[in-house]
Amino acid sequence: MSKATVAALTIALLWPAGASAHRLDEYLQAARVSLERTSVLVELDLTPGAAVASAIVPLVDRDADGVISPAEIEAYGRSVLANLSVSLDGQAAALELTRIDAPSIAEMRDGMGTIRLRAAGRVDADSGTRTLVVENRHLPAASVYMINALLPDDRAIRVVSQVRDPQQSSARIEYQIGPGGIEEGAWLSIGALGLFALAAFRRQSMARPAAHATVEVH
Amino acid sequence: MTDRVFRMVLWIALAAGTIGATAFQRATPPADMTARAMAAAETFLATLDSAQRAKANLAFNESTRTVWSNLPTGIAMQVGATERNGVKLGMLTPAQEKAALAMVASVLSRDGFQKAMQIVDADQLLETRSAPTRAPGAPIRFGRAEYYVSILGKPSTTDRWMIQFGGHHLAINVTLAGRQGVLTPTHTGAQPASYSVDGRTIRPLGGENDKAFALINALTAEQKKQAILGVAVQNLVLGPGTDGKTIAPEGARAATFTATQRTMLVDVIREWVAIIGDEAAAAKMKEVEDGLGDTYFAWAGATDNGKGAYFRIQGPAVFIEYAPQGNGPNNIDHIHTMYRDPTNDYAAKAATR
Repeated sequence: MSKATVAALTIALLWPAGASAHRLDEYLQAARVSLERTSVLVELDLTPGAAVASAIVPLVDRDADGVISPAEIEAYGRSVLANLSVSLDGQAAALELTRIDAPSIAEMRDGMGTIRLRAAGRVDADSGTRTLVVENRHLPAASVYMINALLPDDRAIRVVSQVRDPQQSSARIEYQIGPGGIEEGAWLSIGALGLFALAAFRRQSMARPAAHATVEVH
Repeated sequence: MTDRVFRMVLWIALAAGTIGATAFQRATPPADMTARAMAAAETFLATLDSAQRAKANLAFNESTRTVWSNLPTGIAMQVGATERNGVKLGMLTPAQEKAALAMVASVLSRDGFQKAMQIVDADQLLETRSAPTRAPGAPIRFGRAEYYVSILGKPSTTDRWMIQFGGHHLAINVTLAGRQGVLTPTHTGAQPASYSVDGRTIRPLGGENDKAFALINALTAEQKKQAILGVAVQNLVLGPGTDGKTIAPEGARAATFTATQRTMLVDVIREWVAIIGDEAAAAKMKEVEDGLGDTYFAWAGATDNGKGAYFRIQGPAVFIEYAPQGNGPNNIDHIHTMYRDPTNDYAAKAATR
């Protein structure tokens, strides 16, 4: 039996049936979803309450040395992603872990440490109405969930509706993508090119030495 | 020829208008609040020794202004910093603390300052209750001594600078930019959410709670259907550490509200807006009311006052959340709230002018 299964069972056994919601006794998993034309970004903040932290910590600190190493938090992040599914119009989109930050174990035990996970998935969304379904099945016996769509940066993308199950462990986000045109960023790029051309022209005409340009590629 | 003359007159009028407006802007004295805040900040800084001054007065930039949190001291904040900006009250002499709080009061309304100090008092109670059972060496601390005050930037009546006052459940962030005073982003919270002083019940966030419950119960069945999300919302969606993000609006749109319902919504919003000094609050309330038709009211949880419920108000220039944290009877003894302006946090508009 894996450590994750043992911990999940422990949480389930300790969990009083029908108990009223209490922050200390819950593993809060809050997801924010960014919609883009070719990708979906998920920010997931995981905060174990003090009373469940003792069951969560062993899932993260696998060697129980009291320190969460980069390898341990990355492995935990991948195990969370294995329980998180995203699909666009019925087609599953694989999520890749892009970043994860771990709090200290002491902060987790106090119920105030948050694991911050960031993941991205590629989607191929044409113009029109699209339906994204996000489902989080990570440690359901102990967890409470939140899922919210962020307002898209691309003004051609508009969130139409968000329908969630009562626990917010899944959300069906309907959104519309307007026809692709020259976006604001593209206009800015054209403007920047124009300024660059003007500067180059002035530089040439004034015969001054050129300044070095720095280009960052991400 | 006539067309040419007309164009010349137009250009001259435009140029004169621009010059006139600029001159007017320069000649207009800064708002009283900014002048008061600048004087109070200078007075406070003058009470400090050089080491304290270096801690209390930092540069105003993106790295410093985002250092605030709902969390108590001893915990890494959402932005990664392990300690708030500034000096904490517990390290100040009585005279220094008096000057520090006078500076905070200079940018808040009377009720706003009282609310802030009631939140501090609630945290002092939490410290009194939790200290006896705290493990030796535990880094987490609550209480009045753990509230920090800082000045970001050089106090000025023209340039952008900021006063921060915060600790557990409180992050007052007031950015001053000439005539403008901006309270967003600001976090308030309380635990306990209700306590007694000399037989008097104190509820730092009682107005927010009661006015929102009155509003949800004043909606028609159809409006409630729009407003109530039908899900459990366990915490703030855009709490500390989520600067610059906005979520898709949900809930009932105030365009469908009656005049009475709109007034009730405005009264709920005022609970946050009017924490800042009166002049700045009045300007902000006008902006809120101008965008009221496009403002949404969303609700999750019970609609009987006395039980825990989450609500959110989202408009063109305002974003408010109120989230009980699930402690105490009926889950109402531990509250987190957030107040943002998606267009002008940290007086962003002043930076782009």
